Amino acid sequence: MAEIRRIKIGAASCGLAAGAGEVLSAFRKKNLSFPVVETGCIGHCYAEPIVEAELSDGSSVFYGQVKGDERSVEAILSLSEEGRFTVPEERRKLEKLLVTRLAGRIDPKDLEEYRANGGFSSLAKAFEMGPEQVIETMKKSGLRGRGGAGFPTGMKWSFLAAKKSAEKIMICNADEGDPGAFMDRSMMESVPFQVLEGMLIGAFATGATRLFIYCRAEYPLAIKHLKIAIKKIYEAGLNLLPGRNAPLEIVIKEGAGAFVCGEETAMIASLEGQRGQPRFRPPFPTDSGWNSFPTSINNVETFANVPVILADVDSFASLGTPGNTGTKIFALAGDLKYPGLAEVPMGVTLADIVYTIGGAERGSVKAVQTGGPSGGCIPAEAFDVKVDYDSLKALGAIVGSGGMIVIGKERCMVETARYFLNFTHRESCGKCTFCRVGTTRMYETMEKIVAGKGVPEDIDFLEDLGQKIRKGSLCALGQTAPNPVLSTLRYFRSEYEAHVKQKTCLAKVCSALCEVRTDEKKCIKCNLCRKNCPAGAISPEIKVDNSKCIRCNACIELCPKKAISRVAKTPVN
Amino acid sequence: MAEIRFRIDGKEIVAKQGETIRSAAMRANIEIPALCGNGIVSRTTSCFVCVVKDVKTGRFLPSCSACPSEGQMIESDTDEVREMRRTALGLLLSEHTGDCEAPCTLACPAHARVEEYVRLGRQGKFEEALKVIKEKIPLPMSIGRVCPRFCEKDCRKNVTGEAVSINDFKRLAADLYYEKYMEEIPADTGKKVAVVGGGPAGLSAAYYLRLKGHSVTVFEQNPEAGGFLRYGIPEFRLPKAVLKRELEHFVKMGILFRCGMKLGRDFTLDSLKKEFDGVIVAVGCWKPSSMRIEGEDLALQGIHFLKGIAEKNWQNLDNPGKTIVVGGGNTAMDCARTALRCGGKVTIVYRRTEKEMPAEKAELAEAREEGVEFEFLTAPLRLREENRKKFLLCQRMTLGAPDASGRRSPVPVEGSDFEIEADTVIAAIGQKTSAPEGVVPDKRGNVAVSKDLSCGEMIFAAGDCVSGPATVVEGVAAGHKAADALAAALEGRKTEEPFFFNVSRGHWRSLAKEDLVFLRGDQVSDAPRVKPDFISLEERKSSFTELFPTIPAEKMMKEGERCIECSCTAKGDCKLKKYAEAYKTAPDMFQGAKSPCTVDNRHPLIIHDRKKCIRCGICVKTCAEVINKHILSAMKRGFATVVRTAFDEGLPSYCADCGECVKECPTGALDWKNKK
Repeated sequence: MAEIRRIKIGAASCGLAAGAGEVLSAFRKKNLSFPVVETGCIGHCYAEPIVEAELSDGSSVFYGQVKGDERSVEAILSLSEEGRFTVPEERRKLEKLLVTRLAGRIDPKDLEEYRANGGFSSLAKAFEMGPEQVIETMKKSGLRGRGGAGFPTGMKWSFLAAKKSAEKIMICNADEGDPGAFMDRSMMESVPFQVLEGMLIGAFATGATRLFIYCRAEYPLAIKHLKIAIKKIYEAGLNLLPGRNAPLEIVIKEGAGAFVCGEETAMIASLEGQRGQPRFRPPFPTDSGWNSFPTSINNVETFANVPVILADVDSFASLGTPGNTGTKIFALAGDLKYPGLAEVPMGVTLADIVYTIGGAERGSVKAVQTGGPSGGCIPAEAFDVKVDYDSLKALGAIVGSGGMIVIGKERCMVETARYFLNFTHRESCGKCTFCRVGTTRMYETMEKIVAGKGVPEDIDFLEDLGQKIRKGSLCALGQTAPNPVLSTLRYFRSEYEAHVKQKTCLAKVCSALCEVRTDEKKCIKCNLCRKNCPAGAISPEIKVDNSKCIRCNACIELCPKKAISRVAKTPVN
Repeated sequence: MAEIRFRIDGKEIVAKQGETIRSAAMRANIEIPALCGNGIVSRTTSCFVCVVKDVKTGRFLPSCSACPSEGQMIESDTDEVREMRRTALGLLLSEHTGDCEAPCTLACPAHARVEEYVRLGRQGKFEEALKVIKEKIPLPMSIGRVCPRFCEKDCRKNVTGEAVSINDFKRLAADLYYEKYMEEIPADTGKKVAVVGGGPAGLSAAYYLRLKGHSVTVFEQNPEAGGFLRYGIPEFRLPKAVLKRELEHFVKMGILFRCGMKLGRDFTLDSLKKEFDGVIVAVGCWKPSSMRIEGEDLALQGIHFLKGIAEKNWQNLDNPGKTIVVGGGNTAMDCARTALRCGGKVTIVYRRTEKEMPAEKAELAEAREEGVEFEFLTAPLRLREENRKKFLLCQRMTLGAPDASGRRSPVPVEGSDFEIEADTVIAAIGQKTSAPEGVVPDKRGNVAVSKDLSCGEMIFAAGDCVSGPATVVEGVAAGHKAADALAAALEGRKTEEPFFFNVSRGHWRSLAKEDLVFLRGDQVSDAPRVKPDFISLEERKSSFTELFPTIPAEKMMKEGERCIECSCTAKGDCKLKKYAEAYKTAPDMFQGAKSPCTVDNRHPLIIHDRKKCIRCGICVKTCAEVINKHILSAMKRGFATVVRTAFDEGLPSYCADCGECVKECPTGALDWKNKK
């Protein structure tokens, strides 16, 4: 029987948040004869903390939702059948782990382990191919920028390569700002060497003289791992590119948390020490970027794709659909069973992602918000859409950086749109009129509607102003900020109408448009609700006075008989 | 250098390499508005007021930043583009707060530049003040005495105390310099105009028509001009010697007066039209309203009573004895106080309470001081005469539901009838217009005018005969408007009501002291309002001597120190206002929260009113790029974005030596405190 050769504990942010730290120390306390290492994230965040027992025969046994107690540790060490974690077969068939192949499987801080798994062989291959050939390969791969805009990477690199300039800049955009998106964080935490290898290949191909990683400061673990990886790359001399006099420096700039700094011109301004706000393009950064030098900005995931492409461009290009090649990592969150990361070939359907991979129950989902808060929502009826840049755009949504938030049937779409707009209007850099003031006026209207004070004209107002904000904003933040409202208006208009015309929220979410009632048949008069009501809204007869009720849901949650519930207000005609 | 050929609104434009669409358009005399680009600092692309549309891509481009491409087709003046610009302006206005114009000036029916003349008065420059006053008020002597002071009711000083005594500046300036100041009258246009009616509206129309060089003749039915000023308002409020001085100036200006000429009796509108190029009808409102009670004929009509006394020049008057005045307006007060001065014992009967009385509060108080008594909630029912005594049967009232005007309607109390005995009963419950022959009356009997104030071919009407009874200053404002309309018609121009634009911080009742901006800081005086030195009560009761002499200059200069100077420092050169007017954008196009920023009033010479800031970024860039200082920068994000100094320490004193940001600010957000 095979023996345990190594214990690997998923200690990326998702694992740590689930308690991987305790699991780790429980194993460490054991003073085992084989190594216990921290790895990254394998994408199955819902199952964290995940422990992988690597066996002497080369196979592995996975355990999910491991606790840091003696019993759990002993069970794993005895390779117990209990608590084992396997990836469901139907998910395994859909996924294609290309870019995330090593994520969560190797020690992110171990250069040698990365190398042993093929790491830096693509860099070596690039040196043999020469810059032009690398760019040709990138073009051939059809890779489109994974940050959201989907601009062909090979093309962008060729622009930079063609520039004659004393300095050329390459920036890795690691300012992953969309709530619900964590692909980039995971890649930096799990396979920092892969990202850096991609950057070095990029620098070699384009002749970039300076490398920056602009990473949000909220990603301390990613930054820590990148710093360790950079140090090891320096020590190994991997940053000395052929034909260069000096090794390349890779500078990490920690962003202060402004969403807009993910926009390339705002990012450049921030790197220059200016206020992070976008500027008009052209000139595009490849013509005039950081301190006026030609600059290429690529996303973390894009760079992580590069070594994979160079290793085997043909199999990469054969994946996906024409014009949308390769795989994409999606971050799944919201009302589904298996939140986490999934890498699938471009062109799988949304239903595959939401139901098969995400484990959401068919019939329980109302919509998916793709592309972050400024993306758009796609109704469940349209889930057979192929997920690629062009198909989603046709539906009024975007792939964006790959965040997918599943919205369950019990949610109110008006409130959901208000929630997303709240994020974008606050994250406006405050420069352009339409975005700064326009989104604020839209948000105020959304607040009015969910507060039950909306009027039918508000719908026209939102549509009209939303379209104008799209047309009259400088950067993608403003141009896409109205999307949550406009796309929910497109697919869920009846919900808006119920709010403003019938003055009811059928999802029973908007407190001002629903009531709390008791079911006398179920009520056992235990008085638990009445004693705990903070507003004194429940009478001795266990009737709710809705004029006093603050809709805190305390009674609903406390009732042992589920006799109290929210009901939509009677529609007004 | 390569040239780029493209089209704007179909017109071919040649741009230089690197030139923006807007710059190329401006060279081709196509005006594109812009707030955030001044051509000096690097482009910011923030306001989006300069948007144009690229026809081929359907995209809107900020023309201050976008450079044209060869063959590009640009639209800059379509409805769609204008609507985008209007929306951008509307959005900017929805966060922008301030006062374009001072509330006093806006409240004045004639829109006299109040803040300016009060400032000149404060500085002791009363002659210049008079010049400013006369831009809008050609009867400053009279109005300086009889105006109900609309301006003072809206004065922001009311937040902290009593309003600035604005009207007394007018009275003093006119008293001091009325004869000295002579308007420049342009050469004769050769056009002759007739003004029918020598009251406030007619005089005002005559004045402004004369200032345009037309030859003006005023037709007055009474022996003397002045209208209500001469025959209505009593001597103790407006001495006729003062009115005489005022009217002499009109004669000096070359205005002809033909008194004793009554429309319909001595001439007709048709006969005037033969002789004159244009006519203004301003015949006033001289028909008393009826009390609609039995025995009404036994009462004197208020305006007839006042006119009769005026015709006697307030001399050798009969004692009216025990007098009842019915009514609650200013005419009722004038009748009561006149009867009192004739020796009468006067009671005013009014059907509602003191609160609803339309008379000015000050006049009511003065009447009461002088001994006029009041019977409120009392309505007349019947008037009868017995043994040369009059008996007015009255009924007590109570207040019911508010009527259309918002005042609570009086409701009779059953069985509350009682009689008051009197020697004289005066009815002063209002006046009506009797529209002269040749013009069409409206439903209420006033002269019906169209939008351009005309009531016939080259005939325009103004004043009480159009509006119904109103104040002198309203008459003057109406006369001015009619004069402008006639002048335009004489020149063959069409007049268009200008788009009225004003941003306001709100009515003073909605404001606290902290909401006010004191440009002069501590120099704004907190002293109580100046009080006139009334003549003794005895003299007031027994003579028609004017109530109080004009308040002297030294006191009024001190009074001027109390003025807050509410209007915007940039009201003459605000680009936001300019474009908002050009694109007919109302300040309330979008409703919502105002900018959460504060006003930095700490620098002695520069005001940084961030509530007015439109975040164009020009100040930040001017300081950084032009001056090479980095005093200002944008902070915070989104709607809360604010331009501030580091650690909000305020502008350093040496900013006073530069002021480049002040010069470039498109609004009044950064400005010199000192108003010219």
